[in-house]
Amino acid sequence: MSNSIFGTVVVYFRSVFKGAWSIVGSCMTAFPYIFRWGETRKEVTEGYPDPVSSKTADDLLPRSRGLLFNDIDRCTGCRECEKICPTQCITIEEEPGADASKTWVSVFDIDFSKCTFCGLCVENCLPGSLVHTRQYEGAAYNLTDLVASFGRGQITPEHRAKWAALRQMSESDEVVL
Amino acid sequence: MTSGILWVISWCDSIGFPSDLPQWFYALVALICIFCFVVVPSGALLTYMDRKLSADLQARVGPNRAGPSGIFQPLADLLKLLQKGSKKEWHWGENLWLGVHTMALYSTLAVMPLGSLALLVDTEVSAFLPYWSALVLALGTMLLGLSQGSVPGWFGGIRVAAQTLAGSFPALVALLCASVRAGSFKWSVLAASQGFSPWTWTVASNPFETIAFGVFVISGLVLLAIPPLDGGLSTSDIHGGVSSHLYGRRLSLYLFGRFYGFFLWSVITVVLFLGAWRLPLGLSESLAESESYKLLAIIELVLLLFKTLSLMLLITWVARVNSRSRVDQITDFTWKVLSPFSLVALVGASICAGWRAFS
Repeated sequence: MSNSIFGTVVVYFRSVFKGAWSIVGSCMTAFPYIFRWGETRKEVTEGYPDPVSSKTADDLLPRSRGLLFNDIDRCTGCRECEKICPTQCITIEEEPGADASKTWVSVFDIDFSKCTFCGLCVENCLPGSLVHTRQYEGAAYNLTDLVASFGRGQITPEHRAKWAALRQMSESDEVVL
Repeated sequence: MTSGILWVISWCDSIGFPSDLPQWFYALVALICIFCFVVVPSGALLTYMDRKLSADLQARVGPNRAGPSGIFQPLADLLKLLQKGSKKEWHWGENLWLGVHTMALYSTLAVMPLGSLALLVDTEVSAFLPYWSALVLALGTMLLGLSQGSVPGWFGGIRVAAQTLAGSFPALVALLCASVRAGSFKWSVLAASQGFSPWTWTVASNPFETIAFGVFVISGLVLLAIPPLDGGLSTSDIHGGVSSHLYGRRLSLYLFGRFYGFFLWSVITVVLFLGAWRLPLGLSESLAESESYKLLAIIELVLLLFKTLSLMLLITWVARVNSRSRVDQITDFTWKVLSPFSLVALVGASICAGWRAFS
């Protein structure tokens, strides 16, 4: 039939009707959403959590992943977080501290311009020093301001002198370093 | 002096302007009033409704920060765009486009039909003037693309030209269909041939006029590259096309020009096919007899804007739930479907008009 003129005309009108009907069909699919009937009433997004929408940090979900914080007193400098980080946003430098059994974490930088807040570092932190806080507003005007430093700083000659003095005291008075 | 200027004169007198001002002053005041109190608020309202409608369709919240329910969001967007500076140097091509754009914008303001008492230009060729201005607006968009000096701009400009060329023919024929029924191209006659009831509108007078209405609306979308038929401007392979280099104030001017084309086309669609500003129960005559011209002008304007924004919202709904067509699909559809349908509608509408004249 499609070879005849009549057949061509029929195919033409059928395709026009089909196109128009598909437009109407997609409009009708969306129709309940305009009037919010039944299940379509529910919104799938949530307002940005800030005081304007009456949501604050306290209202966040229990496992929300905010900006990272490292408790440097508990950190052992094991570098597990640095190794697991998929974006390499963590930089660690450590050196022997006052005691040979403990390391001195001189640099512990987290670059939040690279961080994706995946949480792998927190999961893999052996001493549990690295945690997600409930802070989520970290905007800054410069990229350098997005680097958070938790390190103790490089060991200076003053540090070494102080540790040597403490070591001498510990030998005599058994002061625990 | 047309009746369109008269309301401006009475309003200017009531404010306290001297009574011996030249005519061009009143015309200027009328244009500024129409632009500031009709076109710009309509743009803000439609932007807001578009965003809320899109949010509803996608089960989102939508604007909810600026003002109650985010109603001042268009104002906030405009202020944000205005305070952005330009990083590019002065470019003669872009400024040429801005000149063409502004020319198209203000030439159509004068001929835009906004009520029986707000017709600044009501001549035998009035219905053609917005059509040509829409073409100039499309030409301005094309020139903008060609002046960008980049591949997305060139391709965007060429695609806009192809769409405009394709859309202008069925649009013109569909315009003739409405005029054949009314017997004139004057806005006042076109409006007077219809009534308040939908059954008296041109679109419902016979099936050929219904086809002409559909063709006129769709070909307008093609002609001015309005969503969902904006493939010439927005497909992803040209990275935004003609507007890829625009931002800040120029982007706001460009976006407003795009809205203005959409608004203009919707207004003339309403006047040609959807009953224009006709009021029910002889309200026009009774208000005119009691000399309440201001009230009459406002009621007519509100009715016209209500119909116009409803039509625009309907088109926006279709645009938001359907995927964007490619530019070749659009031009193919326009030449192969809209053009034949518009010719059939013209022949049918002419026969119906002749039948009515003899019967």
